[in-house]
Amino acid sequence: MHTDFIGFSSLKMYSRTAINRVVIVLIILLGSYRSQAQDAAKGKELYSTLCQQCHAVTDEKVIGPGLKGINQRRDEAWLIKWIKNPQAMISSGDAYATALYAKYQPVVMQSFPDLSDDDIKNILAHVEAANAAPAGGDAPGVGAQAGGGAQAAASESPSGLFTVVLVALLVVMLLVLGVLLVLVTILSKAVAPAPGVETTEQTKSFSQRLKDITGNSALRSIVLWLFVFVVIKQTFDGLYSVGVSQGYAPKQPIAFSHKLHAGQYQVNCNYCHTAVYKGKLATIPSANICMNCHGEIKRESPEIQKIYKAIETDTPIEWVRVHNLPDLAYFNHAQHTNVGQVQCQTCHGEVEKMEVMEQRSSLTMGWCIDCHRKTEVATKDNAYYDKLVALHKKGSKEPLRVANIGGLECSKCHF
Amino acid sequence: MKFTRLNRSLLLMAAAMLTITACKRGHDNPGTQYAPNMYEPVGYEPYKQEEGFKTPYTDKGTKGTALWLPVKGTVSRRNYNTGFGEGDTTTKDLMIYNIPADSIEISERALVNPVPLTEKTLAEGKEYYTRFCQHCHGETGKGDGLVAAQYKGVPNYGGMSGMKEGHIFHVITHGRGRMWPHGSQITPEDRWKIVHYVRKLQTGG
Repeated sequence: MHTDFIGFSSLKMYSRTAINRVVIVLIILLGSYRSQAQDAAKGKELYSTLCQQCHAVTDEKVIGPGLKGINQRRDEAWLIKWIKNPQAMISSGDAYATALYAKYQPVVMQSFPDLSDDDIKNILAHVEAANAAPAGGDAPGVGAQAGGGAQAAASESPSGLFTVVLVALLVVMLLVLGVLLVLVTILSKAVAPAPGVETTEQTKSFSQRLKDITGNSALRSIVLWLFVFVVIKQTFDGLYSVGVSQGYAPKQPIAFSHKLHAGQYQVNCNYCHTAVYKGKLATIPSANICMNCHGEIKRESPEIQKIYKAIETDTPIEWVRVHNLPDLAYFNHAQHTNVGQVQCQTCHGEVEKMEVMEQRSSLTMGWCIDCHRKTEVATKDNAYYDKLVALHKKGSKEPLRVANIGGLECSKCHF
Repeated sequence: MKFTRLNRSLLLMAAAMLTITACKRGHDNPGTQYAPNMYEPVGYEPYKQEEGFKTPYTDKGTKGTALWLPVKGTVSRRNYNTGFGEGDTTTKDLMIYNIPADSIEISERALVNPVPLTEKTLAEGKEYYTRFCQHCHGETGKGDGLVAAQYKGVPNYGGMSGMKEGHIFHVITHGRGRMWPHGSQITPEDRWKIVHYVRKLQTGG
């Protein structure tokens, strides 16, 4: 780093001054350019972070009005004043501002006091430029649509491809079968004995051959044992499944998709199941939580209309309970999610991929105990466990597991 | 065709095997319960809806529910004096939070964050922000959450460096503009922790 000789460093000095000069010239040039035509590229950046959430560059209304032709509609000074503080403009009784408020109330545009006049001019230049070049102007909307289309195609294509492959396989198999049949007939003709010479095999009737097969004692005993095995296995499986609802996925009164909400849009489980970190139950969301989004979007969907109806008539939505631990066992969500830091998916499976909610785990006592034996207690950053961990370390080299703190005690869950 | 007795029984066995193994419980069927008396709760479980339950909701639908609204005039414990003060706590009475939804100016003026700003409360605020806000407001508050693309109109925290804490608390509690009230989902204490984190995002600190 520090070994460069004098000649080189002087060269560097020279180049640095040259660069400085170029930069100064560039800045001057840019400044003059900006004073004439606004920097639409800079405006685009600001627009996408600050404006796009509520405004489209086209004349389409999103939350606020579409911005196409905004520079013709209002003069620049008014726009700058408005963008910096819309509320003050409305309060001051500006005719256009109050008319805007009347049209779009109760939403008032956010004020942007931090934006400089130049910033606002840049944004307006971007809106102008986006509309001047039709392809560029429509790009966001078209892009979004194309993206959506591609996504839809992508989600459809696997099943489409699958069908095609299946049909192709079927055709190939039928062809092979045909060829084989032809081969068999040709071969059997070729090796057919001369007429007149009778073989016993050929003349034997179907029932005769069946009798031969069933007369085989080895085969008979195999079938018999197989039968005994299947019956025993089915009996035990049947008995073990008593009281186990694994795979239970009832039809719900509203076709709510966890895959869409928790998967695609990654809404946190806790957003709807509000008590999952605080209470015994994870709680089923009340309709007002649905309304946090669906008061505004997808209101026309027939499934969401059902929620509106429930609210209007003040009748509870009768969701069907999927996970139901028997009353003889005590379970507390907060204990597991908050203190134990167990992920929801550990017990409930990949809910974010479920179109219809399903019970993935068996919820048997064996299943509980198994996890209690294996799982290490989340002692990190929890002073409550400090002394316990120290004590445990004295007697054992194994980490502190749930089983060590009474996770296998009967009365812990059955009382 | 003549079958021997053995053949007939063999055929029967095969049929029986097929029948036994072919049966699968339907997705709508929770299966059999042994001794349902032990399974069904004796007391009222939350959310239980039953024909003939005599509750305030009975006349609204066919079934009554075990969930009742609190008696009029009662104040939920979490809205009462929570006594923060030492460490994570404050001595301020949280009853002040019953500010009407349309009086955001009062909240801006009167409410000060009672939760002290520490590393711990800020980390908790971030956690709650992730759970309750992020899908719309985005990880860094740019309004670019996955839901925001559908929902539209989620603001960028960028231009809000001068916002009052009481304002944020009021908006979480009662909603504003396109945002609906989230007071039922988050306790006041947790809301204040979120306020800490939102302020951090707004000021870029």
